[in-house]
Amino acid sequence: MQYKRIIVGDQEIKVPSLSLGALPIAGLALLIWLLSGVYIVGPDEVGVVQTFGKYSRAAQSGLNYHFPYPIEKVSTPKVTEVKRVEIGFRTVGKNQYQTIERESLMLTGDENIVDAEMIVQYKIKDPVAYTFNFIKPELTVREASEASLRTVIGRHNIDEALTSGKFMIQEEAKELIQNILDKYNTGILIVAVQLQDVSPPSQVIAAFKDVASAKEDKNRMINQAEGYRNDVIPKARGEGQAMIREAEGYKEARIARAEGDVFKFNAVLKEYRKAKGVTETRMYLETIEEILQNKEKILVPDGEGGGNLINLLNLKAKGDK
Amino acid sequence: MKKIILILIAFSVLFGLSSVFIVDETEQIVILQLGKPVRNITKPGLNIKLPFPFQEKITFDNRLLEYDSPPEEILSKDKKTLIVDNYVRWKIVDPLQFLKTVQAIPTALSRMDDIVYSELRRELGTHDMVEIITDNREEIMEVITTASNIATKDYGIEVIDVRIRRVDLPNENEESIYARMDAERKRQANKFRSEGEEEAQKIRASTEKDKTIILADSYKQAERIRGEGDAIAVDVYAKSYSADTKFYEFVRTLDTYKKIIDDKTTLVLPSNSGLFKLLLEK
Repeated sequence: MQYKRIIVGDQEIKVPSLSLGALPIAGLALLIWLLSGVYIVGPDEVGVVQTFGKYSRAAQSGLNYHFPYPIEKVSTPKVTEVKRVEIGFRTVGKNQYQTIERESLMLTGDENIVDAEMIVQYKIKDPVAYTFNFIKPELTVREASEASLRTVIGRHNIDEALTSGKFMIQEEAKELIQNILDKYNTGILIVAVQLQDVSPPSQVIAAFKDVASAKEDKNRMINQAEGYRNDVIPKARGEGQAMIREAEGYKEARIARAEGDVFKFNAVLKEYRKAKGVTETRMYLETIEEILQNKEKILVPDGEGGGNLINLLNLKAKGDK
Repeated sequence: MKKIILILIAFSVLFGLSSVFIVDETEQIVILQLGKPVRNITKPGLNIKLPFPFQEKITFDNRLLEYDSPPEEILSKDKKTLIVDNYVRWKIVDPLQFLKTVQAIPTALSRMDDIVYSELRRELGTHDMVEIITDNREEIMEVITTASNIATKDYGIEVIDVRIRRVDLPNENEESIYARMDAERKRQANKFRSEGEEEAQKIRASTEKDKTIILADSYKQAERIRGEGDAIAVDVYAKSYSADTKFYEFVRTLDTYKKIIDDKTTLVLPSNSGLFKLLLEK
């Protein structure tokens, strides 16, 4: 180190001389200090710049500059990144989930208990509020989500929660979570709320499944009865139609027969009228001929009594044996 | 002399540094003058105070802070025990007051816990369990937040939100709920099965009824048709035969003979009948 010698009165003091050798070092230090203000904002980030601690401006993606510490500083929250919290379960590995009953079991409006799981996705909508206004973002979203889900499930009864009301519950929960986060001025936007799985608690799941199978049983019984009906009624109709057709046949036949008989009768009558006596005798004898041919005949002489006839018949019966 | 100057320079630099300071967006400051709190700085930016040791600063968080109290057993108006897990979001709004009354966060949390817990207990005690679980939860939390806020104002604290995270029932009550749910579902299952049987019976019965009606109806039609046939036949016969009743009787009698005398018939005939008259005369 070089010194300048200065005489003050009768004293001599040594003062370090600011030689040219020290200047470049100071200059270099200054340059490095100034360059420390160069920073890059990633494509998924926004730069939030504070001047003397106070928020002064937002910086867009790319190469940026701020005055070096301690004058200015920057933080770069990821504003496009969508984060998620899981309520009622945790993803522990790829496609592996673990239910957390402490979180997932909750009371419904009709004092039943359901097991509900939900995913909440969120991102930063206001990087300034997000950076300065609150602590523990993930915990904040988790607590708001859990409180909201329970509040909303509490407004619905168990059957709504298990079936038809799912979409509604999801929408109500989303709105409520957003309201809470807005109240805390977090700058967080709820992107999506997905109600994963709402099911009865494991203790009673068998009874719920049995209700479903009872419903099936009911349908099955009705279907069987309908099947029976579909079998029986057409058969009965067929049977009925058969009866009617048969009767129609009978009718036609009866008429035809009558007409036939009448036709024959008229024809014979016509002939008969031509020669009444002869025809009558002829018809009589023809008939008798036809009847008595090949028949057993017993001729009884005049005046014979009934007793003889009986004896005769007995005799004949013996002879036949 | 040289040393004195150097010391003076060093002191003035230290003085300067200790009197200029930065307040961050996330901070708020209380200035102490000779150990006594004198003013708040809640706005961020560059600030000046008297140098140490005349004034010094204490920094507090300016952000929304969280406090998660452990679950507590609370009785509802209808004397049901509920396990309530709530959390609090709060803020130091007056650091000077905060410093004077509770000094630091741990003390603040324990005071706040007392206040919030007693408000929670008081307010939930005026509602039935059903109200707490269902429709009124939002309103109840609003009331508790407001009441807690009034009580914590003296500590320079603002309670932004008291929120019930979970309301659960003690284990033994949960068991009875499960038993009730189980019974309820069994009732439903039985109802479905009985309904199924009922419907099936109805269908079968109406099937039998319809079948009987269909057959009877067909019988009716068939008999009517038969009757018509018979009537027409009778008419046809009558019209024709009445032309000569005697001849009809004669012809019909002969027909009847043909029909009623068959192979099994043994005829016993008197020899003096008209037919055999000729046979025996000679």
